[in-house]
Amino acid sequence: MKHLRNLAEKAEEALGLGWTPVRTPCRFRNPLSKYRVWRNEAKCIQCGKCVEVCPYGVHSKVGKFIKRPKSYLCLGPACEKNSFYCVANCPTGALRLRLNPVYHTLGDSRWTADLLLATWWMAEFGTLPYMDLEYRIGASGGGFDKLRFIFPPQIPDSKLSHEDISLELSLNQRNDGRPQLTLSVPWYSAGMSFGSISLNAMLSRLKSAVTYNTLMSTGEGGYPEILYPYDHYVVTQVATGLFGVREDTIQRVRMVEFKYAQGAKPGLGGHLLGDKVTEAVAHMRESVPGMALFSPFPFHSVYSVEDHKKHLDWIKEVNPRALVSVKVSTPTDVDMVAVGSFYAGAHVVQLDGSYGGTGAAPDIAKKNIAMPIEYAIPKVHQFLLHEGIRRQITLIASGGIRTAFDVAKAIALGADGVQIGTAELVALECLRCHQCESGRGCVRGIATTDPELTDMMTVDWGANRVRNMYHAWVWQLKEILRRLGLRSIRELVGRTDVLVHLDYYKLPVDDDLRRSG
Amino acid sequence: MQGKKKLDYQNLRLLKTRRDLPAPTYPGLPVKADEEGGCGVTGFAASVPVTGRHIFAPSIQMHNRGNGKGGGIAAVGLDPDTLGVSQEILDEDYLLQIAFLDEEVRPAVEAQFITPNFRVDHVQRLPRMDDWRELPGLVVQPPEVWRYFVRVKPEVLQYFIQNNRLYEIAWRKVEDEFVAQNCYRLNQAFYASLGEKKAFVLSFGRNLIILKIVGYAEEAALYYQLLDFKAHVWIAHQRYPTRGRVWHPGGAHPFAAMNVALVHNGDFANYYAVAEYLSQRHFYPQFLTDTEVAVLLFDLWHRCYGYPLEYVIEALAPTTERDFDLLPVDKQRIYRQIQAANIHGSPDGPWFFIIARNEPEQQRFELIGITDTSMLRPQVFALSDGEVQIGLVCSEKQAIDATLASLAAEDPRFCPVADLYWNARGGSHTDGGAFIFALEEQNGRRLTCTDKFGRCKTVPWYQKPWEGTVLELTAERWGELGAMIKGLLQDSTGCSFYDWVVKNLVKWPYSRFHEALQVVTRLSREADELKAGAIAALTLLLDWHYDPVDKKRSHLIRLILEALEEICDQTPIIGADHPSRYRLVTWETRGTLTGAHHPEGVLILKATDFPPEGEDCDARFLCRAYELGWKRFLCYGYRGQRFLGCGFGPASDGVRIDAYGSTGDYLASGLDGLEIYVHGNGQDQLGQIMKRGKLVVYGDVGQTFMYGAKGGEVYIMGNAAGRPLINAVGCPRVVINGTALDFLAESFMAGDPLKGGGFVIVNGLEFDERGRVRPQATPYPGSNLFSLASGGALYIRDPYNQVVAEQLNGGELVPLSAADWQLILPYLKENERLFNISLEKDLLTVDGERHPPEQVYRKVQAVKLAVLTKVSDDWD
Repeated sequence: MKHLRNLAEKAEEALGLGWTPVRTPCRFRNPLSKYRVWRNEAKCIQCGKCVEVCPYGVHSKVGKFIKRPKSYLCLGPACEKNSFYCVANCPTGALRLRLNPVYHTLGDSRWTADLLLATWWMAEFGTLPYMDLEYRIGASGGGFDKLRFIFPPQIPDSKLSHEDISLELSLNQRNDGRPQLTLSVPWYSAGMSFGSISLNAMLSRLKSAVTYNTLMSTGEGGYPEILYPYDHYVVTQVATGLFGVREDTIQRVRMVEFKYAQGAKPGLGGHLLGDKVTEAVAHMRESVPGMALFSPFPFHSVYSVEDHKKHLDWIKEVNPRALVSVKVSTPTDVDMVAVGSFYAGAHVVQLDGSYGGTGAAPDIAKKNIAMPIEYAIPKVHQFLLHEGIRRQITLIASGGIRTAFDVAKAIALGADGVQIGTAELVALECLRCHQCESGRGCVRGIATTDPELTDMMTVDWGANRVRNMYHAWVWQLKEILRRLGLRSIRELVGRTDVLVHLDYYKLPVDDDLRRSG
Repeated sequence: MQGKKKLDYQNLRLLKTRRDLPAPTYPGLPVKADEEGGCGVTGFAASVPVTGRHIFAPSIQMHNRGNGKGGGIAAVGLDPDTLGVSQEILDEDYLLQIAFLDEEVRPAVEAQFITPNFRVDHVQRLPRMDDWRELPGLVVQPPEVWRYFVRVKPEVLQYFIQNNRLYEIAWRKVEDEFVAQNCYRLNQAFYASLGEKKAFVLSFGRNLIILKIVGYAEEAALYYQLLDFKAHVWIAHQRYPTRGRVWHPGGAHPFAAMNVALVHNGDFANYYAVAEYLSQRHFYPQFLTDTEVAVLLFDLWHRCYGYPLEYVIEALAPTTERDFDLLPVDKQRIYRQIQAANIHGSPDGPWFFIIARNEPEQQRFELIGITDTSMLRPQVFALSDGEVQIGLVCSEKQAIDATLASLAAEDPRFCPVADLYWNARGGSHTDGGAFIFALEEQNGRRLTCTDKFGRCKTVPWYQKPWEGTVLELTAERWGELGAMIKGLLQDSTGCSFYDWVVKNLVKWPYSRFHEALQVVTRLSREADELKAGAIAALTLLLDWHYDPVDKKRSHLIRLILEALEEICDQTPIIGADHPSRYRLVTWETRGTLTGAHHPEGVLILKATDFPPEGEDCDARFLCRAYELGWKRFLCYGYRGQRFLGCGFGPASDGVRIDAYGSTGDYLASGLDGLEIYVHGNGQDQLGQIMKRGKLVVYGDVGQTFMYGAKGGEVYIMGNAAGRPLINAVGCPRVVINGTALDFLAESFMAGDPLKGGGFVIVNGLEFDERGRVRPQATPYPGSNLFSLASGGALYIRDPYNQVVAEQLNGGELVPLSAADWQLILPYLKENERLFNISLEKDLLTVDGERHPPEQVYRKVQAVKLAVLTKVSDDWD
């Protein structure tokens, strides 16, 4: 068994960070786009001029037939000044370029249409989009969206190249004799249970975690057998419903995550509606098909910090090799909670802020109860520093980490790393339509367990999309570090001096990495 | 409550005098200065004064419930000689203990708050160790503590009375209030209002002291040299503050009010509301912890409002839901008023209080344990009667056992096993969730135990303790008994010996019983077969219930446990060259662990000195032994060690563990194949996420038993505490012969029992003092049964139809079908084999008549609940 596991590991690890993006286009016939190129078929004479001029491949032809324009590749109005601007070049004036009317209906202020489109772009190409898509921030008007990096005008170390920069994150800072667990990137995938998302979505995330030598949390829905070959990269969750948690699942993994609360819905526990409890889900959780499943809040066996220590001790006893991570939401006394977790023996404290959560989290709770993550991180970071234990615990932030810039900002505010969830679903073409919980779920076949919907996506496609996004993120993070003159992501931790908040900084600031720095 | 006093409205005038108290100014809202949660609490009250060293053992065992950043002890009913005062001064004077964090302020404190107001009868600096660094656990120097025996100067009190027109109030009450206010002002001047904290009052009241320390509780006893200090009532607390650096013990428990010391396990969700409620009544928190407001509430309600204890308990833990409806009408009327007036001052959240107090007017020392309405914190009570009496209350049973063992080692009148162990049901109509051990003066002190409603908890008067007689085993007796018992022990099930003992118990005094055990112990050395027989026989005597006639079961158990321990201790140690298939391993010899030397090898583990958790704990050790090929384990000498049976991994079938002693939390959690037999009570969180295998507990189990379990076969001889089988799924099959406190099988999701799903059988039985099975007052006392369950079933023995639909929240009561009976029958048969609870004679016989199963058992099954199946209908 162990032997097999090692083999699987080696095979996958060989890929390492050397992943070369594989173009993985949209599953649907007409990808969504910011701009749209219309061709008036009545005027078009099929001359092929547009195919000739456009270097971005918006126009293409099969034989003599000119295909419908691939608008999502188009530069948009910025192209007007170019000699190859197709609209100007068209001899019959059959082409028009407009903002896509669908654009306004996409997204929300946290995940703006731009951010969705940019993330899809990264998932398809593994690079930053070349058109004017905002890939760094949303438009929430606060938090990460108002923070900017201030890069020095001159790059401090001109010899520093991406190869010299380390993004490694070591999770065991306790020196307690338990194994070290070093991730190659400063993030890992947050818990989304089988049931809340499909097996294909889960595997896509996991396989990219393997490629990037990081981890994926199973969430609270059991440990599907299909994940067994990748045990080494799985974090299994012990949450309040204890669904699918067995000694076996705890012993398989290198890290066990306790979910005390979720930032999107602190104090509410988990909830999987009856319709999503299909035969397969019920089997995995050993419950009754068709019946809603509640994870209580809180753990019935943990009502105090000393119960909490006992709880951690239990898992440590069951798996003497595992690290333990404690996922908590961000109440006002989150700093105390973090200190308590440290003394209870946790290796990782994971602060889950209020922006996360799929559509299944009640709207009344989302963003309304817990503290925003960008407040919680420095609060806890400072408190732990003051207590003299910051270096002995790994601080992970989660809940609304959407972009590589969010990752960097969270780390600069004081976290060691982050957990991401929604961003990966977006890479899998999530539309943020908030219908995760209704009926059988997702129109895009992600947050569903309905067999027909699940089949809308293959694992290979999904894994490549997520890997591509990771690739783009790695590049961005390294570029941020390079511009700051830092050789390791560790050096960025707590560097609030490289950030400014737009409310208090009135000078123009631009941290777009596409502009040469 | 009999002899109920009329509420003394004059007392309210006293409350008015508090208007002048300087209210503290908080920077912002009064918020808790620190988060703390669980903590370990323990307390006992003995009819004879006992020394402080006996609070030592339980305190050490509860280390893992604290983190060494705050501990404290309190004692009530002190010894005048040790204090260097006369009995009269001890009884009449207020005993103030003041901690000086800064020794320099003592003259100022005395000049401002002591000498002008008090006649000081005795002053003393508390004896202490010369160098605090000798206690390695301490990181800061404990404060100097000074003790003052004082009365308020008559002229000062007269002035206070005149000034506030308190003419009609008893002098002593006024004096109490004056002292309390004076202490408040002292704290305000030297602790609360200053940026620098310099001095504070540790305790004030008559015949009561409190000491606290930044360290573990027993370090307070060591540092202040209380090991030989005698008192009737002791309480201790291990604190678990989450903040890393704590430099003075102001926030540690116990907290004091007039004649009261209170420790607390848990925390309040409504701290601010309670603090606000109190400040409207001129009681102001100064230390900003939950516990402080709890003791202030107690002081307000009991001393100022004059509520009798029952009402104070009601105000703290209101009776609600069905329990309220089941109260007598006149109680309902009063309780409704109490709740209406005080509900916003009632602490919300998980909490458990232990209170030690002195009621000087009645010459009464009391130890009180109160649990919250939802029973979210673990709690165990115990009572032992005999020549000396002792009542105990702890957060876990092992702490009780540690106290008793410590007492018994010093004084043979104490038995290491208590006569009764039980849990309180918070906010209930049955016991009110609180028990009071009161020591009253009756030619020496007599201990009584009552619940909230004043009902006594007693043990049979005719059962007498072991007087300590040990017969010498002469060669003649050995010849006589040896051969006969040898014959009996050939029966490897132990039944022959068991039957013989039970039959003879009527005519035997303790000494004969002890003699038989001695013979068994000696015989067990001779051969493995005899050893197996001896262990089986003694285990039966330990586990099963039989008529002890004029003897106490607790004392018989004690003798059996001692014999068993001796048999185990005599086993050849691991690595020894010996033909026996038994091998012993202890903490000292753990390094020599080798693989099983015999296919039938039995590894006997003496768990006593193993740490309760961590890499070196006994549970991990067993896992290593299992990896080396051991399959059969006998573990004894437990002192609360946790996680037994965890970590064996899946497919551990064929492994069997027998455990003796005070096993700890999380036992069998994650069990996946193996069998565990617990010969005694289990603690909390047993069988969590259990998947397969078998768990048998010859006693009670604690909180959240089988939380999130997936399967397995489980037999419990006694009761389960709160929330058993919550969130269980799959196919657990459980027999509980007693009942559960509340919330049994909430969110149960265990499929259809008739198609391979899970179920729970609740028999609602108990054993009487003669070892006979009898039904409990009600098969299920709680207000919540099978709530929000979507699968599985409950089979409840309820021949009188006492369980009503009102108790269910989602389930339905249906008659038992033939298929149901066929399903549960094998489990009841196994139950009979394990526990000697006869299917025919005990379970199916009601009022002396054999009934068909469907008249005895009822089934509770899940119904499809709208709340569980409803889909959001935004689109409709």
